[in-house]
Amino acid sequence: MSVRFGGLAALSDVDFELGRNEVRAIIGPNGAGKSTFFNCLTGVLRPTRGRIIFDGEDITGLPSNAISQKGIARSYQITNILPNVSALENVRIAAQSRRHGWNMIAHHAGLRDINEKAEAALKSVGLLAKGHELASNLSHGEQRNLEIGIALATAPKLLCLDEPTAGMSQAETEDTKELIRGIAENLTILIVEHDMQIVMELADRITVLHYGAILAEGTPAEIQQNPRVLEVYLKT
Amino acid sequence: MTTTPLDKTSALPLGKSGLSHDAVYWIGFCVVLALLIAAPLVLSEFWRRFLTEVLIWGLLAMSSDLLIGYTGIVSFGHSAFFGLGMYGAAGALLLVSPPNLWLAMLFGLAGAAGAALFVAYFSTRLRDIYFAITTLIFSQIFYVIIFTWTAVTGGENGLIFDRPHLSIPFLYNARFTSTTMHWFVLAVVTASYLILRRITQSPFGMVLQSIRENEFRTRAIGYPVQRYKIVAVMLSGLFAGLAGVLYAIQNEFAAPDFVFFLTSGDTVIYNVMGGVGTLVGPIVGAGFFQLVRQLLAEVFGDQFPYLIPLGIIFIVMIIFLPQGLLGFARRWLNK
Repeated sequence: MSVRFGGLAALSDVDFELGRNEVRAIIGPNGAGKSTFFNCLTGVLRPTRGRIIFDGEDITGLPSNAISQKGIARSYQITNILPNVSALENVRIAAQSRRHGWNMIAHHAGLRDINEKAEAALKSVGLLAKGHELASNLSHGEQRNLEIGIALATAPKLLCLDEPTAGMSQAETEDTKELIRGIAENLTILIVEHDMQIVMELADRITVLHYGAILAEGTPAEIQQNPRVLEVYLKT
Repeated sequence: MTTTPLDKTSALPLGKSGLSHDAVYWIGFCVVLALLIAAPLVLSEFWRRFLTEVLIWGLLAMSSDLLIGYTGIVSFGHSAFFGLGMYGAAGALLLVSPPNLWLAMLFGLAGAAGAALFVAYFSTRLRDIYFAITTLIFSQIFYVIIFTWTAVTGGENGLIFDRPHLSIPFLYNARFTSTTMHWFVLAVVTASYLILRRITQSPFGMVLQSIRENEFRTRAIGYPVQRYKIVAVMLSGLFAGLAGVLYAIQNEFAAPDFVFFLTSGDTVIYNVMGGVGTLVGPIVGAGFFQLVRQLLAEVFGDQFPYLIPLGIIFIVMIIFLPQGLLGFARRWLNK
């Protein structure tokens, strides 16, 4: 799989490739273009120049619903769930987006394949016991994990996590780290994160963005040794 | 994937026990239906017709609830769908001899569907207030056409026609009485309610509710939101058109006044008064509105400016009962 991409003012000539089943972290100071990169990848923004190839297919400029159908899912930095329905309903709606979306005859809770998928997604983010809770009643950390659960329920090939531990307590962060480790076993993951400890532990490789360009790329050990990275990022 | 503690019945949101909820729901449903079936047998001619019209306005309001309460978009264009249903039925009743009830329905639905497709295609590109304004403007286009195209629509005077027979092929054929008319309207409204309830509980209905809750996220998990909205507006328009057909048959005329946007405004008020997102709430809202209006007319006479006290009641309700009359039962009704 290759993701090629160049262009915005916020991102200039970023050439980026991601291997299957890799866990890649993107780090960089605020304003480095991490979110812009995610937005282009998931169809929220359209790159002014360059192309995005996913699984051998050009997906540049597709709307976000089409990108989702191609197999790229995303969790959001600012919790972005359906607040007034249950946690289970949140993942179930995501799960039924692959088929059944236009079904007007069946009862939504009666589709076995969807229920299984939804429950599997809830289980992998540790929320199975809280499936019937209203999403808005979940704790912040649980909502963050539900966010990942929704993305997982669409059965993605590539999962993009935008600061999955933002605003979490130490203990919650620890849980989420384990949870991501669990789902990373058979999934390609792209993760933007500020918590260096998580990045160093989870990522196979790290890409450092700075002023919209790639500053460095390598294994966590290499990045930690890279003098330029230390200069612009780790030291600050 | 191995353990499934959330089985089908308990998987209903906030379910305590699915069975008792269902039992209570259907008992309540049957009681209300039985009362509505029995009502014309005890009511006077005037109140019988009044109740029938409440049901028709209720159907119009309920169709709009699919958009307001479930999809989270407010349409001010329902007068066009209602009106096209009305004029479609009128066309069938005037052109085809002998007038046929089912043909009138078919023509009315086709007219409403055409108007709905036109309005939906353009308005769903926009959101929030822009959507509402666009539906209003496009519905007014239909009003102007109907008002000015006198040769076809009768213009200001509208169209007058005879009521078709209540005919079920090979089984039954008789003139409508005000009682059988009431039962016929009740049957159509009940069937519409059950269909709309099923639609709102289907996977499709969940997508609409997801759009209401978070449109951006709904798109991000793979749903082409605009297409879903177009279909929602069309479905809503079809049921609004059905209400127009019923109104035309009940009153034996089609008039441009009903295509004017005031009808759309009334529809939204029925929804807010009765409680959006409940389907039955809008019917109750329509009943409440019409009843207060009628009582004011009884007490103060026909010339009384009933909209002033109704407006005050509406404002008081918004302050003290923002969920509407049935808003408290919203979650329960949708279970």
